[in-house]
Amino acid sequence: MVKAKLKPLEEIFGMIRSYKKILTLSCGGCVSVCMAGGQREGMELTLELVEFFRQNRLDAEFTHYTMERQCNPEYLFDAEEIVREADCVISTACGAGVQYIAESHPSKPVFPALNTLFIGIDRDVGLYEERCRTCGDCKLGYTGGICPITRCSKSILNGPCGGTHFSDGSCEIDREIPCAWNDIFERLKSQGRLENILTVHPPSIWMDQAQRTMVQYGFEERYRKKE
Amino acid sequence: MKAGSNFEKVLAAGHFAVTGELGPPQSNNIEVVKKKAGFLKGNIDAVNITDNQTSIVKMSSIAAAAICIQQGLEPVFQMTCRDRNRIAMQSDIFGASALGCLNMLCLSGDHPNFGNQKTSKKVFDIDSIQLIALAKRLRDERKLLDQEKQFNSELKLFIGGAGNPFSRPFEFRALRLAKKVMAGADFVQTQCVYDMERFRDWMKAVRDLGLHEKCYILAGVAPLRSADMAAYMAANVPGIVIPDGIMKRMNSVPKDKAGEEGIKISIELIEEIRQVEGIKGIHLMAIEWEHRAGEIIERAGLLPRPKVE
Amino acid sequence: MKGLKTEEKIKLILQRREAMIKLCLSACVHCSLCAESCFKFHNHSKDPSYMPSYKALHSIGKIFRKKGKLKDEEFEEMKDLIWNKCVLCMRCYCPMGISIPLLIAAARAVCREKGYYRTYDVISKRIEKSKKVLTK
Ligand code: SF4
Ligand code: SF4
Ligand code: SF4
Ligand code: SF4
Repeated sequence: MVKAKLKPLEEIFGMIRSYKKILTLSCGGCVSVCMAGGQREGMELTLELVEFFRQNRLDAEFTHYTMERQCNPEYLFDAEEIVREADCVISTACGAGVQYIAESHPSKPVFPALNTLFIGIDRDVGLYEERCRTCGDCKLGYTGGICPITRCSKSILNGPCGGTHFSDGSCEIDREIPCAWNDIFERLKSQGRLENILTVHPPSIWMDQAQRTMVQYGFEERYRKKE
Repeated sequence: MKAGSNFEKVLAAGHFAVTGELGPPQSNNIEVVKKKAGFLKGNIDAVNITDNQTSIVKMSSIAAAAICIQQGLEPVFQMTCRDRNRIAMQSDIFGASALGCLNMLCLSGDHPNFGNQKTSKKVFDIDSIQLIALAKRLRDERKLLDQEKQFNSELKLFIGGAGNPFSRPFEFRALRLAKKVMAGADFVQTQCVYDMERFRDWMKAVRDLGLHEKCYILAGVAPLRSADMAAYMAANVPGIVIPDGIMKRMNSVPKDKAGEEGIKISIELIEEIRQVEGIKGIHLMAIEWEHRAGEIIERAGLLPRPKVE
Repeated sequence: MKGLKTEEKIKLILQRREAMIKLCLSACVHCSLCAESCFKFHNHSKDPSYMPSYKALHSIGKIFRKKGKLKDEEFEEMKDLIWNKCVLCMRCYCPMGISIPLLIAAARAVCREKGYYRTYDVISKRIEKSKKVLTK
């Protein structure tokens, strides 16, 4: 799921300091799973902002509300009214959620409370690891289920580069980071699939040149552009 | 002949080749390049011009290569995948070729994390093996990547890649070299060799794959300047293994004699490397020690350099 | 919603979804089509408490019938049903046009107002304090 982390309080304060009726809008989706922007985190943030405003002798009225999801029109409905009542919204959703709230309330200033970081797995409570950069041209089939785009520091497709440390198989940039391609080699070897990386893989078809919209299989008719 | 460069001709004629290395300055100071080129001229067959090595901003490798040409020293311009997407790469290859550069070395490039622009956006649009294939396509087919239309001038290029005998996974390193050859590498320069035993093992694997007959392999040699430098390199620089014997020798001499000891070790290594079947030359990396390069090459018995027509 | 008491807020949430709740209470014919399309139901060996209709009727249905006046234990119990047994994925299909996830979301909204929600780790010490500040 999407992983995010709270921005420094000063930065958030800088964005909202001139407003009088401030709504903190939490998201019950991914960001509550990674404990960055769920109901509890939103409430805590609001509390800290109240304190910050008080210390800076500023007066504002704070409200907090949690939406189940900020990236879906059906759930948006629940917060319509409360958003309308506020001068500005500080959203604790991921970047997509913040934008969707902003788009749905074009006259309302909407600010991000989080830095959206990556799509990753939950290694443990409070510990997350990036696993996918949504390159749009998934290579996991020939890399033994290890993402070369995300896990290799240089995102190369014909690794490993010359930077793998000989002693411990770590990546050149940090002894703590295992070389993805060393791991890819080991896994493919153990599965008897080394031939997967013995040929030259062509340049990636990068998909990030422009904003992407996806129509799911089976929905082509419904969303076909009118001629 | 792929490019007809001096470097290629020396190799094709069966001579034991010597390449050197020149690091451009961290400024626009042309005099630095001229001075370093002066030390190397006549002592080597071609000089590698590093491309913002260790991700520290330096004068462009292509510009410095062009200056070397003006000075009568043949360059091997290095290109990393770190800073250019495929548009810039192809454009720069055209540019370098137009300036008279005939030899090119394709590298992944050190990660930006090492240098003085740590927060830059790294590019790595394509990787070093894909870059070799791209350069070959430009040269042999006169076609840009993904384009079928040919351009109408000739592009001469002698294309190289790096060899890494001292990185994990050891077993895969010769196979990866095979991928570079498959992609179109004409020559290969290896990471610095200190551990002869491991190097011989690697070369055996390389020969078993027949790669020594499909490309020219030059072994990297870098003189150690002090015991501290040796210890630092062994501990921190990936792709470098320094055996205990060499460490002991560097530690056993007083500080002011360490440089001389390092040179002696290099000369001995060159001797041993020449005996390894399939090795066609050495690549001497005397970075910031360009003025001593001539002496090392001479004492290794590799002067004068052959003149090939 | 600012300045309203919890009870009033709950009333508002119920009002907002009244039509859908009523539709669910009156039109659900227990055809079990929604169950067929719910992966949670299938993943739990078709345990009936994972049936979308069951989940809606026993959460928001119950809240609606009792006008939000449930005992604390009942809210606490409901958490399992509306957070663990449904992930609001919107995959369930109802031929009568009932949207189960929107109903579960409404049940969650009510529970959230009452201070019952999922926190994904041990309850933070600050939570009680923030609740006080925000509800005063
Ligand atoms: S808005 Fe972002 S964080 Fe919230 S559910 Fe959607 S994707 Fe996840
Ligand atoms: S290869 Fe691309 S799509 Fe697949 S896991 Fe990596 S970034 Fe994601
Ligand atoms: S050392 Fe491994 S993980 Fe690091 S950049 Fe090179 S190939 Fe990628
Ligand atoms: S929204 Fe809930 S009830 Fe519907 S399919 Fe998903 S998990 Fe099942």
